[in-house]
Amino acid sequence: MNCEDCKALITALMEEDLDETRAESMRMHLADCFTCATVCEEVAAIVDVATVEGEDLLPEHHSKQIWCRINNVIESEQKPLANVDPQPERKGLWHFSFWQLASGLACIALVSSLLTVVAIRNYYEPAATDSLVRTTSNGVFDRVLMKVGLAETPQEQLERKLRERQATIDYWNARVQVRRNQWDPQTRAAFDRNLREIDDSLNEYQTILQRDPEDQLTVEMMDSVLNEKTDLLRDFSDL
Amino acid sequence: MTLVQQSRLIRTTVACVSVVFFLCLVASGVAAQKKFSRTYPAGQSVRLKLLNRTGTVTVEGWDRQEVRIEATLEAPAANITPQSLSGEIVVNLVRDNEGRGEVGNVNFAIRVPFYTMVDIETVIGNLSVSNISSGLVRAHISSEGDIVLLNIGASNVAAENVMGNIFFDGELQDGGTYRFSSVKGDIGLRIPTNSSFRVVATAPSTRDIVFYQCQSPDLTLLGDGRRMIGKCGAGSASLSVTNQRGSIKFFKR
Repeated sequence: MNCEDCKALITALMEEDLDETRAESMRMHLADCFTCATVCEEVAAIVDVATVEGEDLLPEHHSKQIWCRINNVIESEQKPLANVDPQPERKGLWHFSFWQLASGLACIALVSSLLTVVAIRNYYEPAATDSLVRTTSNGVFDRVLMKVGLAETPQEQLERKLRERQATIDYWNARVQVRRNQWDPQTRAAFDRNLREIDDSLNEYQTILQRDPEDQLTVEMMDSVLNEKTDLLRDFSDL
Repeated sequence: MTLVQQSRLIRTTVACVSVVFFLCLVASGVAAQKKFSRTYPAGQSVRLKLLNRTGTVTVEGWDRQEVRIEATLEAPAANITPQSLSGEIVVNLVRDNEGRGEVGNVNFAIRVPFYTMVDIETVIGNLSVSNISSGLVRAHISSEGDIVLLNIGASNVAAENVMGNIFFDGELQDGGTYRFSSVKGDIGLRIPTNSSFRVVATAPSTRDIVFYQCQSPDLTLLGDGRRMIGKCGAGSASLSVTNQRGSIKFFKR
């Protein structure tokens, strides 16, 4: 018998549950092994104490009562926890689920991207431009905005810009009408001739754009002719 | 007095009256015109800014360090009050005659140092600039009139009108910008074959764009031939030509 077997069977030996052969074998090991003999003496001392003062220390059916107490303690600790609102003090990121966090981060990234793009566009593009040409040069970003209804379509932009340009032209034209009676006949004739030529060009481009609204070159030319018309009216309004 | 003598007398009288009448007409015409002349000393940097109402303007570069402005004023004569300040000579007939209504033509003949920056405008009339090698030549006609730019060596050139022809004869400098624009007329550009430039030429109505044989051309027609883009040589200068209802022609210089 070795030490491990001996220690495992010490209790059984104390309670005389071993057969004679195994008990004899243990006794012989205890006689030879000082360590196991010491352990056996300590166990025997504990058993003696328990036997002499057992009624005071360990009531009857003590193990069941201990377990009952343990259960009571556990239940008494669990009841207050069950009554409290779950995670009342928790704050911060950890009460969000992974998908909520991911969605939030995606939203932040999207908004940041939009703001960045808008800021860059505003930085590089003149804010007060009234050029028609820019209205139809749309990138992917603009198309997405148009799809979701957050931006004007090229056709709507063009019409709006044309209305704005027409307002400017109307202003200068009103000034010209005030002044033109003071001009000599040659000046009046020259003005009418040039204005007619410009208007003919504009009509030509409008006809083309009605057939093909996406014709960038025509939009550009129309922008140029509108500039010419505005310049003509402004210059003649000073005479 | 015989019948023959009477007839001769009548003819002589009619002839004399006609001559007197003609002389009166000429004299009245001359008397209706006024002359304006002024000369300004020029430094190393000169800029001429002229804004005319109606009439022709001719600016010619010369090898003298002075600016001479001569003008013929038709009746009713316009007011001219040129200003010279810090190397810039400004003549603004629109401002000087604002609200006067009818003002006669003013025809300018101006001589400037060849290195002068020239910026001239008129509402109606022809503009002509020649023999200028400076940083700027700009000629703008608000309505109708021809623009002729001859022997120009400027790094920035702009010529614009509504109705009328534009002709440019000169060199394109590396890094220079050249812009020609008309609504109706013909635009002709005479430049050396070894010029280096990028070009955008647009004639949407006529599609009449005639290019010349430049060095290493790389050209493309766009929009059904309404526009030609490309470059010659290294493409150093930038050339933009737009003629809404006329032709664009390049010539070898």
